[in-house]
Amino acid sequence: MTEPVIQLKDVSLTLGHGASSVHVLKGVSLEVEQGEATGIVGPSGSGKSTLLMVLAGLERVDAGTVRIAGELLNGRSEDQIAAFRGRNVGIVFQSFHLIPNMTALENVAVPLELAGHPDPFAAAERELAAVGLSERTTHYPGELSGGEQQRVAIARALAPDPRILIADEPTGNLDQATGRQIADLLFAKARERGMTLVLVTHDPALAHRCARQVAMRSGRIEAAPALAAVPA
Amino acid sequence: MTGRATPSSNPRTFALALRFALREMRGGLSGFLIFIACIALGVAAIGGVNSVARSVTAGVAEEGQSLLGGDIRFELNQRQVTQAERDFLVGLGTVAESADMRSMARLEDGSDQALVEAKAVDAAYPLYGELVTEPALPRAELFGEKNGAFGAAAPDLLFERLGIQPGARIKLGTRTFELRARLVTEPDAASEGFGFAPRLLLSLEGLNASGLVQPGSLVEHAYKVRLESRTSEADLARIREQAAAAFPEAGWSIRTRLNAAPALSANIDRFSQFLTLVGLTALVVGGVGVANAVRAYLDGKRGVIATFKSLGASGGFVFVVYLIQILLIAGLGILAGLMLGALMPFAAQAALASFIPVPAETGIYPAALAMAALFGVLVTLAFALLPLGRARDVPATALFRELGFEAGELPRGPYVIAAAGIAVALALLAIWFSGDRRIATIFVGAVVFAFLVLRAVGQAVQWLARRSPRVRSVALRLAIGNIHRPGALTPSVVLSLGLGLTLLVTLALIDGNLRRQIAGTLPERAPNFFFVDVQSTEVDGFASFVAEQAPGGKLVRVPMLRGRIVQLNGIDVQKVQVPPEGAWVLRGDRGITYARKLPESSTLAAGEWWPEDYSGEPLVSFSAQEAGEIGLNIGDTVTVNVLGRDITARIASLRNVEWESMSINFVMVFSPNTFAGAPHSWLATLTTPDATIAEEARLLNAVTRSFPAVTTVRVKDALDVVNRIVEQLGTAIRAVASVALVASVLVLSGALAAGNRARVHDAVVLKTLGATRRTLIAAFSLEYALIGLATAIFALFAGGLAGWYVVAQVMRLPSAFLPEVALATVVAALVLTVGFGLAGTWRVLGHKAAPVLRNL
Repeated sequence: MTEPVIQLKDVSLTLGHGASSVHVLKGVSLEVEQGEATGIVGPSGSGKSTLLMVLAGLERVDAGTVRIAGELLNGRSEDQIAAFRGRNVGIVFQSFHLIPNMTALENVAVPLELAGHPDPFAAAERELAAVGLSERTTHYPGELSGGEQQRVAIARALAPDPRILIADEPTGNLDQATGRQIADLLFAKARERGMTLVLVTHDPALAHRCARQVAMRSGRIEAAPALAAVPA
Repeated sequence: MTGRATPSSNPRTFALALRFALREMRGGLSGFLIFIACIALGVAAIGGVNSVARSVTAGVAEEGQSLLGGDIRFELNQRQVTQAERDFLVGLGTVAESADMRSMARLEDGSDQALVEAKAVDAAYPLYGELVTEPALPRAELFGEKNGAFGAAAPDLLFERLGIQPGARIKLGTRTFELRARLVTEPDAASEGFGFAPRLLLSLEGLNASGLVQPGSLVEHAYKVRLESRTSEADLARIREQAAAAFPEAGWSIRTRLNAAPALSANIDRFSQFLTLVGLTALVVGGVGVANAVRAYLDGKRGVIATFKSLGASGGFVFVVYLIQILLIAGLGILAGLMLGALMPFAAQAALASFIPVPAETGIYPAALAMAALFGVLVTLAFALLPLGRARDVPATALFRELGFEAGELPRGPYVIAAAGIAVALALLAIWFSGDRRIATIFVGAVVFAFLVLRAVGQAVQWLARRSPRVRSVALRLAIGNIHRPGALTPSVVLSLGLGLTLLVTLALIDGNLRRQIAGTLPERAPNFFFVDVQSTEVDGFASFVAEQAPGGKLVRVPMLRGRIVQLNGIDVQKVQVPPEGAWVLRGDRGITYARKLPESSTLAAGEWWPEDYSGEPLVSFSAQEAGEIGLNIGDTVTVNVLGRDITARIASLRNVEWESMSINFVMVFSPNTFAGAPHSWLATLTTPDATIAEEARLLNAVTRSFPAVTTVRVKDALDVVNRIVEQLGTAIRAVASVALVASVLVLSGALAAGNRARVHDAVVLKTLGATRRTLIAAFSLEYALIGLATAIFALFAGGLAGWYVVAQVMRLPSAFLPEVALATVVAALVLTVGFGLAGTWRVLGHKAAPVLRNL
């Protein structure tokens, strides 16, 4: 049996200081297998986005262990984790977070350039073609629709071929039809490449497309029921 | 998918960072215009001032031979060369001889007179360059004796002073001279030093015939030599050594074409160094604008920075990407500044021609521009590193939630240390580039102090506002709230305006106090007249005559010789290290005297005064302050060369001298037996406090008629000349200082503009809650006025302190606080803050609420 790609054990995290501090994660443990699609759901303030940040190595935990793709993140420096993330974790944001002064192609090439890829632009072009945007490579984010921007963001997240794909409300800023197309794309690409997909969403339909749902409430995981297979 | 991460080498990382930086900059430079302008201004000021200074010194070097009047020049005071010395000079090459002295030129009818700087030349003059007169006359016709009068030439100024035209006759000493031409160009004028009066150019025969040259008269004899073949620097140095070895007691000062106008060069150097410091202040003020612009830019880039980090970029990489951008933008400012600075010598040429007697060499001066560029880069780094360091720490989580990074939060240690290190390097470089390290250190210290104190003042104003009692007026309450709320304008406005205003107040107070001294206080205390070259044989008759003419006046007379210090404790002064403030005592000839009793305006500081009938070894009393600066004490020996003889005297006492009394003061007073039998003239002062201008004119006329060889200097005229110079220097200082103020205003307007963006939100919300336009305008005006007033008060206090230090401690003049400066400062501060503030706020108030509210 292979080791789970995500292993969180008794993770606790408090944000802020003094009177304004909030205990966001309270002893969270979670394991996700390679290639598994997991949806994290829960009300606002339950800690689901923070959990996502912990998985991406963006937030350091106060207690517990975080092992991602076989590497223990506890105690690593910010720059070591950044390099780790560049290799192993792709992130898709609700607000896309494309770099406005870079073209679609350049945006997708950024993680490849940072990782020292020998031919970042050819690879980026392939990724854009894979999300159906080969005609839009020279466009700036401001010249693209919301759906197109999110496709660029997905291409960017997929480009370094990470083991884990993390998505924070990936359809939250899109209309229903576009949101559905983006979700289709995300699940298809994750499955195609055998990537582990973890997404946070308020949308029950989107959550139900995941093989597994994790419900959070007040910084704790309430239940982790196994669901039916991910719909195609 | 290929291309797993590989560790990047440093050059590759840099190339990648450069690529990212260039992509990032596609958005344009709109937020950086003030940044670029601030850097450009400061760099232009420093580069320009130094380029102009170098163009003048290059002019001096290029024109060395004609400015000096020869390849090498030997100067003697009060005596001509001996035959042996003349033979030595003639052996070197062609010799041109001239004699300079101050005297009185009188109209033939005796109705008017003017002080002139008479210069008598021989037929060989000029050896280099061209003497230009209008009309151009052959030498014999210009200076020769014709119809009982020698010829002479003078500049327009003398014709204007005496109200005469070319062809008029004047008297000099006992002879008549005909002014046959206007003097247009005197090629070696710059090497003669600063002249108080217009030139009168005549022949040596004419001067000798005038009877002015008597034993002990203050005449400077110059022997300029054109060497037979082109000589190197080493040849010139060898000739100097030969002259010193052959005639060790000649007492001549020797200058070569390489150092044709040392006084002018030294003054240009000193002045340009001072202006460089002022320019550097402008650059530092601009640095605040740099910091503001960088902070605002990086605030806007938080999302991008976080995105980079979420995609695997390290903090160091992010730092390099933005550092490159900031340096590229600074590079634009520096380039613009260098272009302006490089053009300045060309622009200044015409302005300089009127008061520097040297053709400025126009050209590009890479060293001056490089220094300005270096300062530009260092200022940029010193001010940009902290915001850049903070940007490095923007967490990738910023993409998920708006935690924000506090403006006041310091970045990690290395960035703070690097910024502090660069600031120290900047200060050390400024001091290193300056000739007078002490003044430069004080200046830099004052700027750093003002900077720190201004930050504290900003915080204090906010603290006071936070703790002020609740007031009834809504506008005032809003204003006070705006002063202390987070993100308030207070710190940046106080800092940006405060530095510029403080510098301006300091300079205005120094300038104002100097002018008050020259126009009011000095003339009240100073004597009315100085009389030079009163011969020993006529000194008693002169005293009786003056007593008759000015019965209420007080005449003081002292013997006067010229001498040069050649050794201190037996060591050649050329080899003695002396701090700049005491160097003037050892430079060139000094007036010296002897006395039986302690002079009136002096008090004994140490040692003992010699008995009235003293007849032992030569003794000297030295001015205490100058002795301290040179490092002399009681018992040390001083060797002076007087009339070609070296005389060594032991220091018997030190005196406190009131230089500011404007009475007759000497650094060195010798025991009377030191110069027994030496020919000398007398110097006298006349103080008649109640004399009117008409009475002074009558007395001047009477003395000149009866004692034509005595040179009379009216103190008010001399002070007028000084005033004019102070005015010209003041104009240059104000021009550079205004660059600092412009930088201040730029930074201020930038800070206010940034504040206004946040203000749109506040104003709209307040409007929806029922605030009227009038209330909002009143609130904003009060806020700007209160901040402006606090800044003005600080500027007055700090500038007043700095001005007092320079006037009272450095110049040793009475210092007064000038109300007009205070008023102007307060008005300027209020106009700038309220004016700029409201100009922006007006647009804010015009905003419709709905579009803003939709974006909240």
